[in-house]
Amino acid sequence: MPLSVGNQRTQITLLLTALVAVSLVSLLIGAGSVGPLRALAVLGGSQDSDASFVVWQLRAPRTLIGIIVGMALGVAGALLQAVSRNPLAEPGLLGVSAGAAFAVALTLVMGASAATMRISVAQLGALLGCICVLSVTRVRGLGSDPVRLVLAGAAFSGLLGSLTSLMLLFDQRAADEIRFWVIGSLAGRRLDDVVAMLPSMLVAAVAVVFIARPLAALALGERAASGLGHHPGLIRWLVVACVALLVGAATAIAGPIAFVGLVVPFAARALAGPDIRRTLWFCLPIGPLMVLMADIIARVAVAPSELPIGVLTALCGAPVLVAVVRARRLPTL
Amino acid sequence: MKSSASDLPTSAYVPERRSPPVAAPPGYWRIAWQSTRGNACSLLIERRGVAVSAGLGVALVCACILYLSLGSMALAPSAVLPALFGRGEMISVFTVQELRLPRLVAACLTGGAFALAGVLMQTLARNRLATPGIIGIDNGATAFAVASVVGMGVSLAPPAMALAGAATAAALTFGLVAGGGTQGYRFIVAGIGVGAVFGAVTQLILARVAIDTANAAYPWTVGSLNARPGDAVGLLAVGLGVGVIAAFVLARPLSLMRFKDATAYGLGVNVKARRFQVLMLSVVLTALAVAVAGPVGMVGLIGPEIARSLASSRQVPLVASLLSGALVMVLADLAGRTLLAPIEIPVGIVTAVIGGPWLLWILMRPQRSHA
Amino acid sequence: MRAVTLRNGIIGLLLSGCLVSAAQARTLDTAYGEVDVTGTPERVVTLYEGALDASLAAGVTPLGAVTTRGGDNVAEYVEAHLGDERPAIMGVVREINIEAVLEQRPDLILAPARLTEEQYQLLSRIAPTVVPPTQPIAPDNWKAEARLYGNALNRQDALEDAISAVDQRAAELASALDAAGVGGTAFVVRWMPGGPMVMSKNLFTAGLVAQVGLTVEDAGLVGERGVHSDILSLENLSQVDGDWLFLATLNEDGQEALASAKQSSAFTRLDVVQREQVVPVNGQLWTSANGPLAALAILDDIEAALLP
Repeated sequence: MPLSVGNQRTQITLLLTALVAVSLVSLLIGAGSVGPLRALAVLGGSQDSDASFVVWQLRAPRTLIGIIVGMALGVAGALLQAVSRNPLAEPGLLGVSAGAAFAVALTLVMGASAATMRISVAQLGALLGCICVLSVTRVRGLGSDPVRLVLAGAAFSGLLGSLTSLMLLFDQRAADEIRFWVIGSLAGRRLDDVVAMLPSMLVAAVAVVFIARPLAALALGERAASGLGHHPGLIRWLVVACVALLVGAATAIAGPIAFVGLVVPFAARALAGPDIRRTLWFCLPIGPLMVLMADIIARVAVAPSELPIGVLTALCGAPVLVAVVRARRLPTL
Repeated sequence: MKSSASDLPTSAYVPERRSPPVAAPPGYWRIAWQSTRGNACSLLIERRGVAVSAGLGVALVCACILYLSLGSMALAPSAVLPALFGRGEMISVFTVQELRLPRLVAACLTGGAFALAGVLMQTLARNRLATPGIIGIDNGATAFAVASVVGMGVSLAPPAMALAGAATAAALTFGLVAGGGTQGYRFIVAGIGVGAVFGAVTQLILARVAIDTANAAYPWTVGSLNARPGDAVGLLAVGLGVGVIAAFVLARPLSLMRFKDATAYGLGVNVKARRFQVLMLSVVLTALAVAVAGPVGMVGLIGPEIARSLASSRQVPLVASLLSGALVMVLADLAGRTLLAPIEIPVGIVTAVIGGPWLLWILMRPQRSHA
Repeated sequence: MRAVTLRNGIIGLLLSGCLVSAAQARTLDTAYGEVDVTGTPERVVTLYEGALDASLAAGVTPLGAVTTRGGDNVAEYVEAHLGDERPAIMGVVREINIEAVLEQRPDLILAPARLTEEQYQLLSRIAPTVVPPTQPIAPDNWKAEARLYGNALNRQDALEDAISAVDQRAAELASALDAAGVGGTAFVVRWMPGGPMVMSKNLFTAGLVAQVGLTVEDAGLVGERGVHSDILSLENLSQVDGDWLFLATLNEDGQEALASAKQSSAFTRLDVVQREQVVPVNGQLWTSANGPLAALAILDDIEAALLP
């Protein structure tokens, strides 16, 4: 049952508090020798140069990136599920990750190095992948057969995956580098990368503000939305463009991070109820929470090395997905 | 000629039992006989189905001869047949008998098994894009085989591990939806979840080992017929034989299950039990084939699709799918061996590269939405 | 034409098999049991970079070889040792084209340690196939492998010479470096976007670096069986802060790897970076190749980078 508006305010406040707490933990805990106490001292203004480097130059950027990526993936997932009326629509299933990986592999084969990879390449690939899957399944028909979208996405990802493998067969260097790229990670990303992503994210954010209301109207049905003066077709395409921008940017920074876009909207809907506008608000803190927690586990699980975050979100997200399917009837959107 | 799952006939022909002297309906042959108890029995054979199967069979034989002739060692087709029976030059006998024939057999069997499993799954899901791979079997097999190659865990050979992985993934998927039934997308979603976990595990393993080891595991991640394990092929041959018989036994309920559950039930099909049996059959066939060739994608989609476009829509085209799957696999591996020679492209990549555009075409082709 | 040469080849094979006396047969210990090789093989196919290297060092240009990593032909350093005859390509390491091997009608196949059983069964029907036994990773593994290949080629002496040439060159370089006062600890890493992977101190390359007098370390990050560590967290980068840092990628140009690593502030903080004692190296040679000729090429690299 959705809670009343007053209770939801409390919930949001709680979630935001949790997010602040987790961000703090993310600054305090790492794979290295700078423990929570030293890190805390740095936050308190200590002059420990090693610790301050670790906290401000390494942990702070990845925390910030985790927050941005989490928000982007969560909101994108909620939008996609709302517009497709399909609780299973996950950006990762739509060929976005496969598109990005394909683009990265292509540029690697053409001679670039993963370390100097222009982030825009991955973003472009993600966009094209998303557009391909959605245009072949034709956005209009998404509501009628939810499995169709999932299957088309899986099949398309398979195709791109094979093309990627084909290129890698001939290029061992690219093969060697890409196997680290395809699992996603927040480590070693620089703030410049985030800055490069910001414009497209901002465009998407502004667009989301404007389409939230028509999208909610669309949930009432095509006719109702038309009657309220909205253009269903236009709304759908705008939403898809937003999703592609958000997911493309997130994938380009952090690599493919699975299941965040699926699990986060689900949790958000459980708290917020069916209204997409409220769900979107709830996604904003829940997405970063999930990504940051996964990243913290990734740092400490195998210290002094790190696990890729994509593996962790898949390992955590898949059981949630299955639990959701098991627990009750899938909510119709 | 075009037909698809979406243009099913509105009613199925159900042969009447009580009145023996019935003429065969148009387009069928009727074989009638008296059973030992004196009941009149009859079998209807669809003429078009027979013609399609015969045509595909001939095409398959031609493809096989081509397969045996072409390659880095080119042999004249006239030299192939003698070599097949051990006559001719030693080197061509070796090429044909030891290098190409086992690989050809593996190609035919895996192609047939993938396609048969695919058509069964698609009929169940009432969706032309469903394959057993979607419920995580491929990923499970890959993860286990890769783990075996890089030397983690139990020291089973990769094919046995692939089989174990496929079984584990299927069991997990079944277990997770226990009680929920195998219907609808609840099942598929659970499968996708299971597949994603195994996919992540595979990626993690590959990222942590040296590239030489990752190379050794490579055929198991894309699907390849280069130097395949003999025991697994034998097992697949037996499994496919049994599977084909089982598929024929299930053929009639299967063709009725294309309709709504209530309709099928009304026509005397125990929908729940049959669905489980068909699903198991599909899973077992896929698992056995994956243990031989690794996760070769798309054959389970392309084979049945060819079969459906050729055969009539009155029945589920089991034989035609089997044959076209084998045909696709043989041609794909032939292309992989010869196109970029001396470098071989693994068959899994060839099928995906052919299958991708094909798939997009299916998706984009105008059609009415599914029932 | 083709049929005739084919037949001659087979007759030649049969004859050489029959006529060569058992006294010349050598029994080799391989991963798949004992293999008998007779006479001096002339039609050799190598399916491994180390085998190609050893074969060339012994003065035999193979008829066929697999491509190197990251290329569609043999490794660059090998080019200098090839005459007019070039080995035909037998596919890539990941997919060996067995028919192409057969087409060469070899009398000896030198295969990698990780050849699968199924591939071995087919290849050993074509010609005696030498698969080195898998050994625990040690810097000197390449010598045992090269000797095994040399024995199979019936050119033990040539390979002993090649191996001692490497040792001698390393010793000369070591004394030159010692005289120049160059020494200390060294790490060999591969730079990945998330951080470095530390290569094991038990690898071929690390062994050569050690031989010229540096102390190679892996900070205990690489397990006994491992070739490299997991990607090291940037927070722990100081663990690879030695006197020298050899930085490799599979790029032919190590400079590119250095440039990308320098984008990370955690990397530029390291002492070894500020002292400019980071040596960018060709990953194709440093992390993929193996054998006496590769060893000489790597020693050349070390000399160029370290000798003032």
